[in-house]
Amino acid sequence: MKTILAAQEITKTFREGSESVAVLKGISLSLVRGEIVVMEGRSGSGKTTFLSIAGCILTPSSGRLIINDEEINVRHPGLLPTVRRRCIGFVFQQFNLFPALTALENIEFALNIKGIKGKVAHGRAENLLDAVGLAERKHFLPRDLSGGQKQRIAIARAIAGDPSLLLADEPTANLDTQIGEQILDLFRRLAKQEDRALLIVTHDQKVRAVADRVVEIQDGLLAA
Amino acid sequence: MVDLALKTLLHDKLRFLITVSGVAFAVTLVFVQLGLFFGLLGNASVTIRNLDADLWITPKNTPNIDFANSFPEIYVQRVRSLQQVVRADNLIVFYMFMTLPSGARETTEVYAMENFKAWQFPWRISEGDLDDLKRGDYLFMDQSATRRFGAFRVGDYREVQDRRLKIIGRTQDALSFTTTPLTFMDYHLAQILDPNNFNGRTSYIVVKLEHGADVEAARKEIQRRLPFNDVYTVADWADRSERYWVESTGLGLNMYLTVFLGILVGVVVVTQTLYTSTMEHIKEYGTVKAIGGSNRDIYRIIGKQALIAALLGFAAGALLAFVIRHLVYGMGLKLVIPPQMVAIVFVGSILLCLSAAAVSFRKAAGIDPAIVFRS
Repeated sequence: MKTILAAQEITKTFREGSESVAVLKGISLSLVRGEIVVMEGRSGSGKTTFLSIAGCILTPSSGRLIINDEEINVRHPGLLPTVRRRCIGFVFQQFNLFPALTALENIEFALNIKGIKGKVAHGRAENLLDAVGLAERKHFLPRDLSGGQKQRIAIARAIAGDPSLLLADEPTANLDTQIGEQILDLFRRLAKQEDRALLIVTHDQKVRAVADRVVEIQDGLLAA
Repeated sequence: MVDLALKTLLHDKLRFLITVSGVAFAVTLVFVQLGLFFGLLGNASVTIRNLDADLWITPKNTPNIDFANSFPEIYVQRVRSLQQVVRADNLIVFYMFMTLPSGARETTEVYAMENFKAWQFPWRISEGDLDDLKRGDYLFMDQSATRRFGAFRVGDYREVQDRRLKIIGRTQDALSFTTTPLTFMDYHLAQILDPNNFNGRTSYIVVKLEHGADVEAARKEIQRRLPFNDVYTVADWADRSERYWVESTGLGLNMYLTVFLGILVGVVVVTQTLYTSTMEHIKEYGTVKAIGGSNRDIYRIIGKQALIAALLGFAAGALLAFVIRHLVYGMGLKLVIPPQMVAIVFVGSILLCLSAAAVSFRKAAGIDPAIVFRS
């Protein structure tokens, strides 16, 4: 199985005034194609920091990050947007849809950012919206959609550009149980049928149901 | 291509309206202030520029056309004897009292020549024949006098320096910086009306040179012959007259200050609204970065918003300025808005909005995309 994400001995230290706070103390984690890994841990344990580093949003203080067999040069933050554009899709707890754009435009804009424009982008956005079952809601603004519908649009946006790695931060936290299960089904399909690696950071025990592997982070280290 | 910049602007219509209004206000203020300034300046030199002369001979150190002393009229002979001179005539410009039908005593600025037609002056005649001025106690009065002197008709009489003169013609657009109404009469009549100042004396000599003559050489030669006078080209004399009013009245400072304040208000309003908008949409910009957008993508969004505000604000502001121009024209004020000014204000509006957006650019550049994970 091809390794999509390989994080090796990742550390991250933040400065708070005159003090240094080590949030990650040497985490190594790999995800292969089609695998769903759930990362759990208490608040402040470093889950989101790791997710940010894995998503090339934050740079680690030390360690190596390899995505799709390519080592990411974390010393050049200017290169990271290209990696995010090409390889990574994000799903956020707060959905983070653009409130001024319709469901369809939210996805089309993401495609535009990834360099896909015009009719191609429009057609692909419609297909993605159809794939998450919201074709009839394409002209709705986010404010007119339910939480579950927003999250499905966010997922459709995350897979726009066909990334091999999906990173989700508490994707079911703002959803009721039934809608949360629908979203987890969608994740399972994305991983198993479309061969994407999926890292889900969550407190929600129900997410374990879709996991191939569950890892726990404690005080900046993966628990044994 | 999904236009996030425009859609976000339109999504918050009130803020968008405030931004555009800020630019429109600044643009209108700049147009009105500059337009009035150039309109007034134009009045200060409109007679100089419209009299068909190449050179003006003035009393020494005369500051502007309205405040002339006098000098012997015989000097004109020294000018006429020059080879390149086609024509040289005396011109009296002086303030005289006019008694109105109401009994009120007002001041009029009199322009007096022997042969107005030879100088194509005054340049816009709506009633009467200038040649008739030589034939008696007659005068032409400019239409603008109606504001100060009340309505008049050709054939009416007015007393100038206590002498009854008949209005035999009407001119248009002959104005002075002081807003004192202009009247035109025969040169010798003016001398009779104010013998203390003009018995054998004149205010100016105007000179027409032959076609292709070296104006500067002629000016120097006349200056040599008339060492107690000043000799100016039309451009220099008009410039001197305008500069006097700009410097002595604080008009220039007032204009600069108001234009500066207009621009400042525009920059502050646009900066404030764009910055507030950026702060409110900071998580969206973070999302743009998270999904692979670069700082350049965000600059493009903010820059486009600034440009849209500039274009719409300019259009609204310019439209309002042209409406104001129409309104103040009815009040006898000139708002001069030449195409060059429109072009400069247009470019200025764009620069104003882009510089106002610079603060937002800086903020956007520093966005940590990890903001997207915060609730």
